[in-house]
Amino acid sequence: MPQPSSARLHEFRIVSNDKIAQDIFSLVIEAPQLAKTIKPGQFMNFEVPGNAMSLLRIPLSFARADADAGTVEIWYAVVGDGTERLSRMKPGDTSTVLGPGGKGWGVPAECSRALLVGGGIGVPPLVPLAAELARAGIPFDVCLGAKTASELVGESELDALGAQTLSVATDDGTEGHCGFVTDLAAELLQQGGYDYVATCGPGVMMQKVAEAALAAGAYCEASLERMMSCGFGACSTCNVETTEGMKGACMCGPVFDASKVVVW
Amino acid sequence: MAVDFGGIKMKNPINTAAGTFGQGWQFEPFIDVSELGAITTKGCAAEPWPGNPAPRMCEIPGGMMNSVGLQNPGVRGFAEESGEYLADLTAKGTQVICQVAGHSTEEYVRALELFCELCPWAAGFEINVSCPNIAAGGAACGSTPEGAAEVMRACRKVTDKPLVVKMAPVRVAEIARALEAEGADGLSVINSISGMAIDVHTRRSRLSKPTGGMSGPLCHHIAVRMVWEVANAVKIPVNGVGGVMTGEDAAEFILAGATCVSVGMANFADPTASVRILHELEAWAESQGVSDINELRGAVIC
Repeated sequence: MPQPSSARLHEFRIVSNDKIAQDIFSLVIEAPQLAKTIKPGQFMNFEVPGNAMSLLRIPLSFARADADAGTVEIWYAVVGDGTERLSRMKPGDTSTVLGPGGKGWGVPAECSRALLVGGGIGVPPLVPLAAELARAGIPFDVCLGAKTASELVGESELDALGAQTLSVATDDGTEGHCGFVTDLAAELLQQGGYDYVATCGPGVMMQKVAEAALAAGAYCEASLERMMSCGFGACSTCNVETTEGMKGACMCGPVFDASKVVVW
Repeated sequence: MAVDFGGIKMKNPINTAAGTFGQGWQFEPFIDVSELGAITTKGCAAEPWPGNPAPRMCEIPGGMMNSVGLQNPGVRGFAEESGEYLADLTAKGTQVICQVAGHSTEEYVRALELFCELCPWAAGFEINVSCPNIAAGGAACGSTPEGAAEVMRACRKVTDKPLVVKMAPVRVAEIARALEAEGADGLSVINSISGMAIDVHTRRSRLSKPTGGMSGPLCHHIAVRMVWEVANAVKIPVNGVGGVMTGEDAAEFILAGATCVSVGMANFADPTASVRILHELEAWAESQGVSDINELRGAVIC
């Protein structure tokens, strides 16, 4: 039998669900088995009760997992009806989650220095990656981007994890460089010294980061987002066009070798 | 709970809708797939199809809309990847129905020939006549009685194994009669319903194609009516498909005249749905005081 998804069905209980930035929430759930097994870059698919007309789960990445406490922390943006309902859930509320799903970050064994580039609500999956790099003693720098300072997340957490340099860009200049995070990333990559780049954010941002990484000779991985139905390889709806054909983001991703991505 | 779906002997009436259940093994972490009466595998053509660009899915009230475009690895790739698992599943008593896709009558025949050669464990085949027909300018082969009959006639010559047809939700009674006349053993009613969803801010379709197939509870009562019409129009058995989320939804199809019932979109929201629905259907049959589910088929009072 081919290898099915690593996702399992878990019940969870909400520990906290607090606003941490403009339209962005931090959700901490108690799900011990999930907390033990989830790896950086993997995702979960949440059942969010409250609307009988809305049936599909909501796929979300995670920012932190604490195996000892049995908790997983998720940062999510309120972008539609499902995440709006999720933002109204209270500590003690319960539901189910499918996870951990998909293929996470694959830091090369020989990696000597990494660059992490996140935009908007693409920042969360970079946080557990930074923790993994810190544990492995691999130095890393971080570039974060947001439309405006009030929508920026992850700065203090990534700093605390030991980012050697952490630069910020906002579209409106309310914090850090006024412009795109891709400008900051391209500048660092031109200086050289990186052999691994990890990026998550809007497609056009990741594409530019991947191009700059390729030019700098660094291996680049990108975490992609697609409309997803099942999240465990049964529906063929979350396709990513790659140089090796159509690949499901839920099983072959969400983290892909950026040099193989054709359609961002 | 055993039923006979056109020669496909099922230990219970629960089947899965093609395209919503992968090739079965994707669900093994969540359920014992061999509890089900049958599974219908995702449609495969003679050669691999890449499917449509993203986005292929959008959520709509009461269901979802997709334009996957029948991405498949071709019958050979399918048999290599999943054949061993599906042969084992058959040995455990769950019938495997393989869905057949094609863009023309010749392509359906070629795919069916390959299935017969490479998948001897299959209990039967489901011809998906809703694929766009290239020669007919993209209209589905099965959208007219003549078109559906032509595909059925050609496929019937390939095999004596049970052949069922996944019907498009159009002109169902007359197309059902045409298919029965050409030797179909059973009918799966209905395929997804064509729909359209527009993002009014970008003014683009929410899918990469202008239209897609709607599925889920929003289809259920259209499907129940069509199953009832088909069951009254033909003698061959019907598989009810459309928005089954609970055992009572499945029961409705049986009362409308279906022999078996496929669980579709519910598999995505809850990977344990098919087995849960089976147990709920068993409880319902018991509540109706019958010892054989077949006594309830077509038992709607109207």
